[in-house]
Amino acid sequence: MNFFSVIRWLAWKDLISEMRSRETISSMFFFALIVILIFSFSFSMDQQTAKTLMPGIMWVAFVFTGIIGLGKSFLAELQNDCLENLQMNPIPRGAIYLGKLVSNFLFMLIVELILFPLFVIFFNLDVFDKLPLFVLILIAGTLGVSAVGTLFSAMTVQIRAREVMLPILLLPLIVPVMIGAVEATGSVLSGESVTFYRHWIELLVVFDIIFTIVSFWVFEFILDH
Amino acid sequence: MSALRGIQLNKSYRHYQVLKEVSFDVAPGECYALFGPNGAGKTTLLKILATLQTPSSGRFEVMGLDGIRDRNQVRGILLMIAHGSYLYGELDAVENLRFALGLRGLSPADREIKIALDRVGIGAFADFKIRYFSEGMKKRLSIAKAMLIRPKVLLMDEPYSSLDERGMKIMNQFIRESTQQGAAVLMTSHNRAQSAEVAVKAGVLHQGVLHEIDVKELVAAHELF
Repeated sequence: MNFFSVIRWLAWKDLISEMRSRETISSMFFFALIVILIFSFSFSMDQQTAKTLMPGIMWVAFVFTGIIGLGKSFLAELQNDCLENLQMNPIPRGAIYLGKLVSNFLFMLIVELILFPLFVIFFNLDVFDKLPLFVLILIAGTLGVSAVGTLFSAMTVQIRAREVMLPILLLPLIVPVMIGAVEATGSVLSGESVTFYRHWIELLVVFDIIFTIVSFWVFEFILDH
Repeated sequence: MSALRGIQLNKSYRHYQVLKEVSFDVAPGECYALFGPNGAGKTTLLKILATLQTPSSGRFEVMGLDGIRDRNQVRGILLMIAHGSYLYGELDAVENLRFALGLRGLSPADREIKIALDRVGIGAFADFKIRYFSEGMKKRLSIAKAMLIRPKVLLMDEPYSSLDERGMKIMNQFIRESTQQGAAVLMTSHNRAQSAEVAVKAGVLHQGVLHEIDVKELVAAHELF
């Protein structure tokens, strides 16, 4: 069985299902929208304060929105015992993980790309000349959250308190992603030179690589036990 | 050589022993019908053979391969039709078939899929989402999937449940064709009359112990357990 073909089939299935139901993306979007509105109306701030607060607010919104999507990721596999079917199929477990990671990453990124302009409007920020850097940080941060989140989503899907357990397990582990993403975003907003915050982006990339590889290897144990 | 062989299989959940020294043998081209009251351990036995659970002790072989040690190869040989339909609600019938077959590295032509759907009597619903299907229609789609996969070993958990009379005839026709082509079938059932039409071996699982019985006794016997 072609390893990449399994990844493609799983991601295709998740994307088609989501395009038709819009269940995950719409709940993620509306949750994040409410967070933006609450924060923008709670604080009256000038542009300088906004530049200081916005990175933290934005990544908190993105991570909590991501948790909503990640929580639903393997839940869909429980309907009609589809998870059991995946376990019985002669396919590499790592490919199942990567297929799910691709769809989770895309769901999160799509919502973030829709929300990012709203952040810019509500917080009155000037970011258009720095967009490529923002997108790079967004991709690196989102990959980190979805790499760990996909693993924990599979781990918690069969337990009763999964809605509580997923954030409890996930949030402490993604602290480095949060710190790196918030610091890098803040530096870009302040107009600092790349050399001053390059190490934060490197932290994100290293985290992504390590946790994707570790999750890939651990996933077989998680799925079969 | 046996297609499917259980050797002194035991399964315990804490202090409750579900299976006690269960041994059986199904040759290629044979259909074995397994009966027993609710909670007798029939589904547990099928889940062990499908590599979803491991026995507490004992072993089993599928086409000469060790079911525990060589489970990745075993998964490529067998297919299970279970209570859960293993279908995704947002995908239509054809997409579900393509996904299930794609995971096994198969890519049947549109014509083959159409023939399979027509044979199980749901050709007119090929582009209907599965969430609109009745349980009987889902079971028929599972038969179509098995027709296209053509496994060497077929495990079926109560194959006649949810099916109407026409559906049961289709199921038995499929089992006959599969065994004629050399496949081994192990099914659990509560429908003695239908099972007797296709089974050449039968057993009753009662309080974890398997008693083999003559197939001729299936319909004639007043009570099996």
